[in-house]
Amino acid sequence: MTEWEYHPPPDIDDTLAEHLRNFPREPYMLAYALRSVAAILLRTWMRLYHRMRIEGRENLPESGSYVMVCNHTSHLDALCMLCSVPLRQIHRVFPAAAADYFFSSLPRSAVSAILINALPFERTIKGGESLTVCNELLKNAGNVLIIFPEGTRTTSGQMGRFRSGIGRLVVGTDLPVVPCHLEGGIRAWPKGKVLPRPRKVHLRIGEARRYGQLDKSADSVKAICDDLHDAVSKLGAGIP
Amino acid sequence: MTFDAALQNDIFQTYVMIVAAVLAISGIALGILTALGKNVGPIWKTYRGWLIMVPVVLGTILLGRTAFIVGVALLAIVGFKEYARATGLYEDWWMTGLVYLGIVLLAVATHVQDPRLHVDGWYGLFMALPAYVIGAILLVPIFRNESKGQLQRIALAIVGFMYFGWMFSHLGFLANAQYAYGYILYLLFAVELNDIAAFTCGKLFGRHKLRENISPRKTIEGAIGAIIVSLALPWALWFSFPHFASWELIVTGFIVGVGGQLGDLVISYIKRDIGIKDMGTIIKGHGGILDRVDSMIFVAPIFFHVVRWLHGLVEPGVA
Repeated sequence: MTEWEYHPPPDIDDTLAEHLRNFPREPYMLAYALRSVAAILLRTWMRLYHRMRIEGRENLPESGSYVMVCNHTSHLDALCMLCSVPLRQIHRVFPAAAADYFFSSLPRSAVSAILINALPFERTIKGGESLTVCNELLKNAGNVLIIFPEGTRTTSGQMGRFRSGIGRLVVGTDLPVVPCHLEGGIRAWPKGKVLPRPRKVHLRIGEARRYGQLDKSADSVKAICDDLHDAVSKLGAGIP
Repeated sequence: MTFDAALQNDIFQTYVMIVAAVLAISGIALGILTALGKNVGPIWKTYRGWLIMVPVVLGTILLGRTAFIVGVALLAIVGFKEYARATGLYEDWWMTGLVYLGIVLLAVATHVQDPRLHVDGWYGLFMALPAYVIGAILLVPIFRNESKGQLQRIALAIVGFMYFGWMFSHLGFLANAQYAYGYILYLLFAVELNDIAAFTCGKLFGRHKLRENISPRKTIEGAIGAIIVSLALPWALWFSFPHFASWELIVTGFIVGVGGQLGDLVISYIKRDIGIKDMGTIIKGHGGILDRVDSMIFVAPIFFHVVRWLHGLVEPGVA
């Protein structure tokens, strides 16, 4: 008789904290169940408490992987974008979240990894490594990556400069990039407040862009960042 | 088993005092060893694990029958999950899901009343459940129209259910016994002591390997030492089961002494076949749940059935 082959997961010796931080994640039945329940509750909450409105859902590609970029004023941005994709896709949507904030403690990691399905993104050191992880993720058709190119929540109400990561990620690839703009986030849940307030939020989803024709140069990366910044601002201003 | 009953139960109170004393004495002993400059770092870690586990287990028993049955089912589920992850069966959600469901059904059968005998715990259903669960597991490939590699998954799922689910869940069924506190607390205490005795005797006198291809650190001397300790223990804890005759104490000690080590060896060869060291990391200083409860898996069903044959669970001849 030939011997059986077992496939113990590579993270079998990791502690709970490491499990939560590991990426890509092993598919956990309990995590999937909790995330599904959380997604339904979140959608209800966003509609009732924040009277969430989503415009331009038809712009989301129906198949293949894509990236969503958005302005960043509060935690509601990511939550709102999670609500914009179909419920059955919820386990394949990954908001890139600052590892130094969202994975800094066990409870935070648990919420980020299990309920939000966040991708731990190193924004201070090893940024390149995190981009490689994103790249691998997007190679699997059907995965959605949510990125906030400003890199942190803005407090002024003015959109900040887009950092180069998004450009480096999509330059020379045929990945669709969907620009989004969330209005009302800064009033509903400003940085520093513990709980959100019952203010309206409005998510506008723009038409997808592709940057396959550009060569992989620093100029192209900057051009992509500018183009996306422009697209998001226009969405915010209500310019079609 | 209820909260009030536990507070008034002499056996429960005695065990709480015994365990507290054992923990205190071993803590002091470890403290002295540390002060003497001995390297007992890893043992401290294990000890701290105990300091968390003991109150949790005693608290669950204190809360009553339902809490204990749920607790055993949760342990079975987490234990099976560790096994499923280690073997790779975990990727098959239908198989793992069915086993989880089977374990939940075992807990339900343990908790409900027997419809004919009107006593707590539906013994007939509990014993028949493996037939239904195995039947359901065998149907999965038919439903998904798949044949490649299915036998391996079925086999892994059945072993997982029978061993970590059904055999271990006998511990929960003991909560329905008239002498529930005595049986359960004795088993928990005796099985853990048996483990510690095997380890200690092995360290002190170990020369000859017990099963060198399965667990190279276990020795024949350790196994014999553990059996001797386990044979002696029921005499000291006779108050747990005052209706036992003296020859029954020998049988009881033997079940724990031999069964505990068999359970340990089973997990050892499973781990060795897969090629991993611990089943998980859930309890610091102990490894996974399975690394802690492994010895109970063999002991619980054998003790359960021997006791049931000899005395019945509730009253002779009824259940």
